Amino acid sequence: MIDAIDIVKKFDDFTVLDGVSLNVKKGEIISVIGPSGSGKSTLLRCLNKIEEIDEGVIRIDGDQLSKHNCSKLGMVFQNFNLFPHMSAIENVMEAPVIVKKMGKKEARELALRMLSDVGLQDKADAYPGQLSGGQKQRVAIARALAMKPEIILFDEPTSALDPELVGEVLGVIKKLAAEHMTMVIVTHEMAFAREISDRVIFMDKGKIVEEGTPKDMFENPDHPRVQAFLKRMMQD
Amino acid sequence: MEYIINTTLYILKGTVVSLKIYAVTAIFSVPLAIFFALGKVSKHKTLKIVLEAYTWIFRGTPLLLQLFFAYYGLPILGITMTPFMAAALTFIVNYAAYLTEIFRAGIESIDKGQYEAAHSLGMNYVQTMRRVVIPQAIRRVLPPTCNEAITLVKDTALVAAIGMADLLRSAKEVLTRDFTIIPFVIAALFYLAMSWVIVIVFKKIEQKYTVY
Repeated sequence: MIDAIDIVKKFDDFTVLDGVSLNVKKGEIISVIGPSGSGKSTLLRCLNKIEEIDEGVIRIDGDQLSKHNCSKLGMVFQNFNLFPHMSAIENVMEAPVIVKKMGKKEARELALRMLSDVGLQDKADAYPGQLSGGQKQRVAIARALAMKPEIILFDEPTSALDPELVGEVLGVIKKLAAEHMTMVIVTHEMAFAREISDRVIFMDKGKIVEEGTPKDMFENPDHPRVQAFLKRMMQD
Repeated sequence: MEYIINTTLYILKGTVVSLKIYAVTAIFSVPLAIFFALGKVSKHKTLKIVLEAYTWIFRGTPLLLQLFFAYYGLPILGITMTPFMAAALTFIVNYAAYLTEIFRAGIESIDKGQYEAAHSLGMNYVQTMRRVVIPQAIRRVLPPTCNEAITLVKDTALVAAIGMADLLRSAKEVLTRDFTIIPFVIAALFYLAMSWVIVIVFKKIEQKYTVY
């Protein structure tokens, strides 16, 4: 579904992604873990063309990534990035109405369905400023889902949340996993990554250091850097 | 009492002239400035340089000088205008320069995450600007725009310098003729009334935008 080959991304002289290749199959759930600054988020941002790659190829369903097909990929951000001047339901309706030219009534019904899927139908008319972090992130997920993406990219979806709100967001993602949504998730939630993923990718210094099943990666990783990282994460 | 009423009616005629200038400036300078501000935040290099020069010239020289240039200077170059046309043109272009900078700052204050979210939902640049960025920028630029709107009320008094019978000039004529301070008091009240209306209007608009 996604085929990324030898991606190189530089910010000025600093190479953030140094020849990363990633293949995502339909229905697959991939977690990307690794220390801060390892290029995990940048990889996601390249996949949906928020950042332009310097070298390499990205194909979506066999076609070169372009502004016409990058919207097959939905994205959920660390800082939610909801539109603050729109209510929850307007946030969800916006893209179907403006981009897909869906009728307002149909879009409203769709948005209500999406909001009830994330358990927020009663907050439809609330503005982002009136919602908790966890609720905001759930609205953001509903907003991404409303465009019926083939893949959803999650960029540290729980990193900006208070600890007690992490669970509700992870719950929604688990529900999507049960529905076999294709997902690439950058996360620091190790237990979650282990539970939900088909494949875990460890990145460091702009490269994929090791990848494998959650069992292999968490129980006996080969690479010393992965071992050190996991040991550090498990102490917290 | 009758004297005050007559004087007020006379000054009212001048007030209409001032209001006309005000309305024309407000109606045309705002959309023009939005357009220019979008040009300034675009990636078009030449356009940005031209707009930079434009805001520099019109913010960097006295409005009175610009008014003189339009009314007394342009005829030398073969362009003749009525006082009203010269005044309206000068005010529109001058105020658009200030508003351009206000709107540009407003647009640039919107977090880049908003653009990224819009992009990830498949919105193009125009859709992103129209639906996401500009509506949020409007709320942020309301207070400085209100300042400009109040300044414009008082700046309209400059049109007297090219012979237009505006509010202030009408008042001064009465004063010169009758040697009394009353017309100035009346003129001041008119200016205050106009400013008050503007403040109220902006308060209403701000309330509308503070729902979120």
